[in-house]
Amino acid sequence: MDTYFLMQLINGLSVGMIYALIAIGFTLIFGVLNVVNFAHGEMYTIGAFAGLVCINMIHAPLAIIIVAALVAGGLSGIGLERIAFKPFRRFQDEASLKSRAMREATLLSSLAVSIIIKEVIQHFFGAEMQTIPGQYMLNNPIQVGPLSLSSGQFLILGSSILMLGGLQYVLYHTRIGLSIRAISNNPLGAKYVGLSVDKTIISTFAVGSMLGGAAGIMVGLYYGAIFPTMGFTPSIKAFVAMVMGGLSSIPGAVICSLILGVCESLATNYLTQGWSDMVAYSFLIVTLIFFPQGIFGSRRERV
Amino acid sequence: MTDNKLVSHSVRANLLVLGLLALVLGVVPGVLSFLGKSYYMQVANSALIYCVVAASMNLITGTAGLMCLGHAAFFGIGAYTAALLNTHFGLPFLLTLPLGGVAAGLAGVLVALPTMRLISIYFAVATLGVGEIVHVTLLNWVSLTRGPMGMQIYEPITIFGHQFTGLLSIYYVIAVLACVSIYLLWRMNHSYFGNALRSVREDDQCAEAMGISVVKLKIQAFAASTFFTGLAGAVLAHSAGYISPDSFQFSESILILTMVVVGGLGSLPGSILGALLLILLPEVARGLGDMRNVAVGVVMFLSILLLPKGIFGEVSAIEVARKLFNSAWDGRNAVGWK
Amino acid sequence: MPETILETKGLTRRFGGLTAVDAVDMVMRPGELVGLIGPNGAGKSTFFNCLTGFYPPSEGEVRFLDKPITGLKPFQVAKMGIGRTFQNLRIMPNMTVFDNVSIGAIGSLGHSLRRALWPFNCLTDNEISQRTWDILARVGLDSLSSELAANLSYGKRKYLEIARALATDPKLLILDEPAAGLNEQETEQLADFIQKLNREGLPILLVEHDMGLVMGICQRVMVLALGKKIADDTPEAVQQHPLVLEAYLGGEECQY
Repeated sequence: MDTYFLMQLINGLSVGMIYALIAIGFTLIFGVLNVVNFAHGEMYTIGAFAGLVCINMIHAPLAIIIVAALVAGGLSGIGLERIAFKPFRRFQDEASLKSRAMREATLLSSLAVSIIIKEVIQHFFGAEMQTIPGQYMLNNPIQVGPLSLSSGQFLILGSSILMLGGLQYVLYHTRIGLSIRAISNNPLGAKYVGLSVDKTIISTFAVGSMLGGAAGIMVGLYYGAIFPTMGFTPSIKAFVAMVMGGLSSIPGAVICSLILGVCESLATNYLTQGWSDMVAYSFLIVTLIFFPQGIFGSRRERV
Repeated sequence: MTDNKLVSHSVRANLLVLGLLALVLGVVPGVLSFLGKSYYMQVANSALIYCVVAASMNLITGTAGLMCLGHAAFFGIGAYTAALLNTHFGLPFLLTLPLGGVAAGLAGVLVALPTMRLISIYFAVATLGVGEIVHVTLLNWVSLTRGPMGMQIYEPITIFGHQFTGLLSIYYVIAVLACVSIYLLWRMNHSYFGNALRSVREDDQCAEAMGISVVKLKIQAFAASTFFTGLAGAVLAHSAGYISPDSFQFSESILILTMVVVGGLGSLPGSILGALLLILLPEVARGLGDMRNVAVGVVMFLSILLLPKGIFGEVSAIEVARKLFNSAWDGRNAVGWK
Repeated sequence: MPETILETKGLTRRFGGLTAVDAVDMVMRPGELVGLIGPNGAGKSTFFNCLTGFYPPSEGEVRFLDKPITGLKPFQVAKMGIGRTFQNLRIMPNMTVFDNVSIGAIGSLGHSLRRALWPFNCLTDNEISQRTWDILARVGLDSLSSELAANLSYGKRKYLEIARALATDPKLLILDEPAAGLNEQETEQLADFIQKLNREGLPILLVEHDMGLVMGICQRVMVLALGKKIADDTPEAVQQHPLVLEAYLGGEECQY
């Protein structure tokens, strides 16, 4: 029972890390623009499909596949920003940056773009699950003492910790990270001291979407499930984690993602696969009722 | 303003209503049965049902400004309540219909009570969560809902012993219900109740300071809106004879939201136009094959970009309502609501 | 007729360690036009929000028409008969002038789903229309009734706010900095309008920054500084009051 519990814990952590990678993108974008990007789940799908194309076309090694997913995610993040967010940023004063009309317009435009991306992918690849060549699947068993883990879990845990470290470096030791933090604290003030809001928003989208794309390919190779609507459920759960974390706190989002992942994988002991999705949604409702500002929201950590 | 003008307004309003009724009850079914394709009739049926759903969602998302991302859940609750009551307990259509509405309305109140104090984005997220909870429940409670296989309703719509079996007669049942529901929603939108809802959307603190009990008002609006959505769901269950959880998932909520947004947030005629557009567009765009859903996304995107107020914006909808229907009763008070 | 319109006893409001309003006692008698002034950060707005139910007071009591209203919700306070305006204009921009004012009438006469669904003419709805028209005529906005509030000029919006508060049929009107952003001529017109309302028997509490306006029209002036009431007297006496002079002129260095 103990080893089983430990295995579930590690399983949950790796699922949670995937949620965390997606949630960070949500959080970064929310911090900078104060809007929810509903097309973020599609970045995850695009990352997975980019990796798949690499596998099928050039039989690339794993490292290249992940890089391809990162690049595809980043580029489509930039494209998404140009198409779905930029046109609605005609006015730059404080009132319109925080206004409801703008928030709703971008929420809906990102939803529209997400529908379009999903349908286009479905048109070219078909709605069914894609087949992945066996040698690329990341489910080789690895024995660690009494635990039987798989290579995928190591890859997910290892590379997401690496990416989190990279993100910390970018946010706290580079110019662009500084401007991202500045703009999420006070967009107008940042603009007045001469930061380019536009450039910063683009790089935020690029960074956030890169993480999402990487999460997509890793999940795809680990579970062997790549299909056009794969982004929906994980992104909803990442979204839940972000709300639990208080909307604009990265540490909060990461911690809540891990909690969510672990709770879900422990819940599979008692619930069937379908019902285990309920864990996330009940977390969401309970959080919203009892902690309307998110569990980590009161600390007011911005990014 | 002369008496003459008032009379002509009143005549025009009556003519408009009669014309619309004639269109819905006469011309459309006439043309469709002349064409004789049962498929078109089915499209017309679902278009009418979605008109009711979009108009009812407009009451909360447009008029009261509560962004709801889980409206399909209430649609599903209505549909499944009607289907379950009919298949398990053999209740007739005349009972399952209101009970479907009441079940959805109660669910709406249950959702509204704890979430009404949340600010807008959190409210949207909460409704999204509720929508997913309902979807997951419908999908996984196999012993009750038969899960992904969906439910069949074998009994035809029966009202006072008369069975409505043909598509045309089913169309008439739906059309009458849709007209009644839309009339009631129209009354809610275009009355002082609607004014109060709009004030809550514009500035809830200010509305509160004027003596409006914001929480009570929002709950009333949410209950009314979900009631009509549930009603539409019950009609869907009976008229289509088959329902499955797929019809009530997140993308469906988004489709309904898109109808309201494309038509114009807060405008009832707008949301009806939006519903017609988004149901008929995929049919018109049938030639595009499986790209036709892309068309839905493109229409949504373009309408947000180019027509931020929608096809038939709120301000013009209210103006039309006043010009046509209110000036008929008293010149000076034409600006108010009766 | 009750002795007092509004009475606070030891009204206190704390935010964390900061005491924004500190044991303020005040009395308003029927028909009075009272000014409430104070330097920036004196606690005027907090005091105001405690009166209207937006902040529950930490301590103390508020009585309105001899009934306690401490801790009531804003809409309950408004229903009892306190009408208010907002410091930074809070009009409803996407609604017409008529609809904006009707909100006040709806608030005091009630809104109901049942009435909305009742398809025939209804007395309460007629009363709402009637009252809205009367108020619009009184503030001189009736010719603009179908205009969107967003299209009004700044000065007109001020009157719109006051009209909306008047439509609640208040027994006490509280105006929060009505002259902010108005030029001298507009301020003068506003002063005349406020005095006219007061002469018609409506008690008014005027929270204001503009000393000229307050000293010119108020019968009595209260001064708040650092949350405490430091003076409560006729305008002439208040202007001579040493504590007031210190708060407004001399006190700055020691306060900050």
